[in-house]
Amino acid sequence: MSHVLSPVRGSPPPRRRGDPMRTTVRGLGELLLTAGLVVLLFVFYEAYVTDWSSAEKQRQATAKLDDTWSNGRGVVDRPVKGAGIAKMYVPAFGPDFVFTVLEGTDPDVLAVGPGHYQGTASPGQVGNFGVAGHRVGKGSPFNSLDLLASCDAIVIETADHWYVYRVLPLRGESDGWAAGKGAQPQCRGVGPLPGHYADVVGKTIVLPNQVDVIAPVPGQPRRTPVSRLITLTTCNPQFSARERLIVHGVLVTSSPKADGQRPVELTAGA
Amino acid sequence: MYSWIWRHLPGSRAVKLLEALLLVAAVAALLMLVAFPWLEPRLPFNDVTAG
Repeated sequence: MSHVLSPVRGSPPPRRRGDPMRTTVRGLGELLLTAGLVVLLFVFYEAYVTDWSSAEKQRQATAKLDDTWSNGRGVVDRPVKGAGIAKMYVPAFGPDFVFTVLEGTDPDVLAVGPGHYQGTASPGQVGNFGVAGHRVGKGSPFNSLDLLASCDAIVIETADHWYVYRVLPLRGESDGWAAGKGAQPQCRGVGPLPGHYADVVGKTIVLPNQVDVIAPVPGQPRRTPVSRLITLTTCNPQFSARERLIVHGVLVTSSPKADGQRPVELTAGA
Repeated sequence: MYSWIWRHLPGSRAVKLLEALLLVAAVAALLMLVAFPWLEPRLPFNDVTAG
């Protein structure tokens, strides 16, 4: 007879019902394990599940914008909050990177796509076209904003125009720009800005309350703008809201839309 | 907690397993569809705007 069949040595001790200490400790342990799983599930939700619903919302917003444009109703002075106003292409993020930019920066707007700070300049205007976008989840349009280099193109398509902005020289690149990176062909029209814009560089990291990065003259809220800028904002570092990552670009070309014509930045992938 | 639930699920072991999976799926759906969308804007993880 094998010893494992012995009722005393092989089997677990009989369940002792009503041991309050044991029940409490086990219940606490199970609660903690459950809480850990819920937190993991939340990370999964934030980073992936919100992408799925945002992709559908973005698709609908794009379809609506296309419809508006094809009906010739695209040019409005004051778009309502949540309405699509433009499309944004960043060739450096791949030929398929296109997002419909919506009016406003409320959370429900940003869940659809990048949002235009209300009150900042419209695309192509003198001033500062400010756009916020998510970095994690919700389609994460600005996930790779930190990878943009100076002179990378940010192409904005409106109802009737193409606007090509390019990222300004980064901090430390301004000295010797004309003979250095500024000599490269994609940097035509890009350079350190003069006057009150001297401190505006292509990429900065600021605190969340530094709202003057989207001022008409970034950092100088009371100055009258002379340049046509674009400013993209997102959270920094990833998965945190401690800081904001800011990218400034300057308009280099603009052209009225003609049938089927796209800017060379999009066709050549520059 | 979990053993209490397991003891109170009716049916054979296979049926219990199915019921347990259904319970897990229901809780996950409730979290994903109701709790997290409510909670998310209240947490400071994903603010992207300046100001």
